[in-house]
Amino acid sequence: MSEQYDCVPEASWIPSERLKFVNRYVVERKDTCISCGLCGSLCPYGVHQRIEGHAKVLPPFNQRCIGPTCASNDFHCVSHCPTNSLSVRESETFSALGDVRWTTDMILATWHMAETGEMLPLDHPGNTGRAGGGFDHLHFKLGDVPEKVDYSEFSTAIDLNRRKSGERRRIAIPVYGGGMSYGSVSLHTMVARAKAAKAWGTYTCTGEGGYPAELVPFKENVITQIATGLFGVKEETIMRAPIVEFKYAQGAKPGLGGHLLGDKNTPLVAKMREAVPNTSLFSPFPFHSVYSVEDHKKHLDWISSINPQALLSVKVSTPNDVEMVAIGSYYAGAHIVHLDGGYGGTGAAPEIAKKNIAMPIEYAIPKVHKFLTNEGVREDVTLIASGGMRTALDVAKAIALGADGVVIGTAEMVALGCVRCGNCESGRGCPRGIATTDPVLFLQMDTNWGAQRLTNLFSAWRKQWCHLLASFGMKDITELRGRTDLLRYDAGEEVRA
Amino acid sequence: MYERYHIHVVPTLGRHKPVPKFVVRRAENCINCGKCERACVYGAHKRDANDPRKMAEPDSTLCKNCFRCVVDCPQRALSIKVNEEFKALGKGVWTPVRVSTMWNEAENAKIPVLGAGYRGNFSGPGYDAMWTDMSEIVRPTRDGIHGREFISTSVDIGRKPPLLRFDDKGSLLTRMGPMVDLPVPFLLDVSRITVSDSVLRGVAGAAKELGTLMVLPLDPMSKLNGTAPAELLVPLVSSVQELERVPPQVRMVEIFGSSDWKELLKAIKERRPGLLVSIRVEPSQELMTTVDDMAREADVLHVLFAESGMDHDGRYARDTMRQLHRHLVKVGLRDGVTVISSGGLAAAEMVPKSIICGSDAVTLETALLVALGCHVCDDCGGDCPSDLRSAPEDFVRCRVTNLCSAWRDQMLEMLGAMGIREVRRLRGETGRAIFQEDAHRDAFSDITGGGKVE
Repeated sequence: MSEQYDCVPEASWIPSERLKFVNRYVVERKDTCISCGLCGSLCPYGVHQRIEGHAKVLPPFNQRCIGPTCASNDFHCVSHCPTNSLSVRESETFSALGDVRWTTDMILATWHMAETGEMLPLDHPGNTGRAGGGFDHLHFKLGDVPEKVDYSEFSTAIDLNRRKSGERRRIAIPVYGGGMSYGSVSLHTMVARAKAAKAWGTYTCTGEGGYPAELVPFKENVITQIATGLFGVKEETIMRAPIVEFKYAQGAKPGLGGHLLGDKNTPLVAKMREAVPNTSLFSPFPFHSVYSVEDHKKHLDWISSINPQALLSVKVSTPNDVEMVAIGSYYAGAHIVHLDGGYGGTGAAPEIAKKNIAMPIEYAIPKVHKFLTNEGVREDVTLIASGGMRTALDVAKAIALGADGVVIGTAEMVALGCVRCGNCESGRGCPRGIATTDPVLFLQMDTNWGAQRLTNLFSAWRKQWCHLLASFGMKDITELRGRTDLLRYDAGEEVRA
Repeated sequence: MYERYHIHVVPTLGRHKPVPKFVVRRAENCINCGKCERACVYGAHKRDANDPRKMAEPDSTLCKNCFRCVVDCPQRALSIKVNEEFKALGKGVWTPVRVSTMWNEAENAKIPVLGAGYRGNFSGPGYDAMWTDMSEIVRPTRDGIHGREFISTSVDIGRKPPLLRFDDKGSLLTRMGPMVDLPVPFLLDVSRITVSDSVLRGVAGAAKELGTLMVLPLDPMSKLNGTAPAELLVPLVSSVQELERVPPQVRMVEIFGSSDWKELLKAIKERRPGLLVSIRVEPSQELMTTVDDMAREADVLHVLFAESGMDHDGRYARDTMRQLHRHLVKVGLRDGVTVISSGGLAAAEMVPKSIICGSDAVTLETALLVALGCHVCDDCGGDCPSDLRSAPEDFVRCRVTNLCSAWRDQMLEMLGAMGIREVRRLRGETGRAIFQEDAHRDAFSDITGGGKVE
């Protein structure tokens, strides 16, 4: 076992004031306030503050308020205010952020982890969503979660090549970044992801839109993708990639191929993809040269002959016969079988495809894991899952269901400040500058800031995994794989959270 | 000459302001600095046209909930909240998101495409508890809407013989009954909804655009003024006398599945042998015991679920249709009769899902009204929020056509993903779908509490 990646980078606080715009509660101070300052001396959380020498108390720091439950405390500002000027109410903006899959709590928790690198307690509501099924109804039978653990005692590393031959590639955390193409996300976003991947000794992926020169310094940590449109695929990009990913289908639009709308196909994007600017670009479905496992093997052999060191990953979605696809890919020579479930992210996909085509990843993982085990090849293949893993606990649940590791995408976007408004696809793209090629909008995000936020997120996640392992008396995350006995399915749990 | 089926669409704006999902509010402490105007890439914040010193009220219909204005506001004067009016849209399976999605489909006839992943529930009641299959590497597939390979959405309405007989010279001996070939597997149906005359004519115009059938009560037929040819009309007939009022061009009528259906069917077939007869039936457990006779004699069974998507026993169409289909297959009657189902079809994906569960075709009812701007508030009294009664004929025709075109395109996407070349092959193809109870049992049965879906 290589220890190379078992040392982890330091998380450090990164200022993120721009993401402090939404709070659970709003504290209001009426004009009748006489600026006596009593509230400031009462509140231990620092909601009310006055700058030394100023007459007026500053506007309340909403994000520090603990809400109406504070009424039972001696220091409750609302009941002590001599002029009854203070009130606390639920923030209406709070519920406008997020949805049942990515709840407001989950987005804010992810932002907190990305800002500080501090772990989220394993029973925090931000760990699970409210989608009424799948991961949100699966829960770990947690033992006693120790308050403090020595993180250096735990290994969260996984091997990506489990075959007997070929290059060993080991990543320090059981996650790597999913394919997001140049065009669907900004160059700053790509570089930030690559920097974080380098810091953690894991990988990120170029997606289908070519390999920008800015990523070359991180080439040891960048996977390149060959998808059906073959956009930006060149011999040199294959030569420099440690892992080459064949994308047959994407979970959010299985069987439909990819689609970059004309608006986002700026001249730079078009150059990278060797296409005409401002036209809509389609990646067809499927590879029109692959209609059998034999054809598929031919493609994998083709990559192997160009770059024998590269690991081969095959990304497929989750049809009824996903286990047959998985074993076919294995026998065709894939090192990594990557299942992408329907509820994952996308730059643009028909809404009808996201929910209705192909099964959720929660159902596909056990199906494939059990099948590969029965076929006797499970220990020779790396099973990677993606498509709707939002939090560290989702990742752990996927592993407990039978995956070796997980590919994430949306969680990284959220860490970079995504609010999941869902407008990545049209016009100028992401108004927050993450998933856009707009020359003005993408300047909103600084790559170093983004890289540190991602590093912090992984750091927080790793701490969560260590605490989880500790509660099960485990030391290595590979021990968790396939341990469905540690899970329970509970439809009522979400109500409590 | 061969002509590829194509639906001509005309983008048609709604008649009323859309109901935005979010409401942006500007509090009184706004200092009119204008940072929000620069922040918003969608133009929701503008200066007041009459007094440029002030900011105008934010235009919530343009807001896409990116929160940039909220972030940039130095006064924390802006807030966004979910619109209560939006949350109140629809009921049951007609969720607010579905209603507003259908408004958009009826407006621009496009497939709804959004960035970021799925944001809804893991599964849900009825058709939401199933997923359609797709073909991965090993099966050939089709390029859905991009049309590089044609996918047929036609279905045949009428009785099909179990086999064809030919004489020695190869000429067909089997006498074929009447048959209607529909280019899309949905009919327009106003027999259970209340519509004004102009809406009626608009829907008829849409049926003509689409080349599909329109089911309607007998009386309003006289009000159509030729907006749709009589060949496309399917009037409801409850007696032999009423048959006299049915124009000779009409190819299909519907009768009620009440106790005297047999006599009426026989009488109609005697007088008008070329007429298809469809029997309207109320789905329930009881139907399984009485359906055989009807399936043997009628051309079509029209199964009427409630708009909640449920049958009389409170079971969802997904389960009842599967049961009915399996039953008819078992008794050897399924291939002879055409089965049309209605009710609770609140989204594009429900059409192919209903077909997978055993329908040959479906009818659109409340969906027609939603295309016009209906809120599905279930209170069709005096003050309709969309004033549906006054909707002009052209508007109705375009909006309904647009919705149907968007739904057909989405069906093509699903068929393409499945690698299926024609919608006829989808009927009863439950093997090409993933039902939640099965997937759940397979995946979670070894997990504590995971054997059955709750």
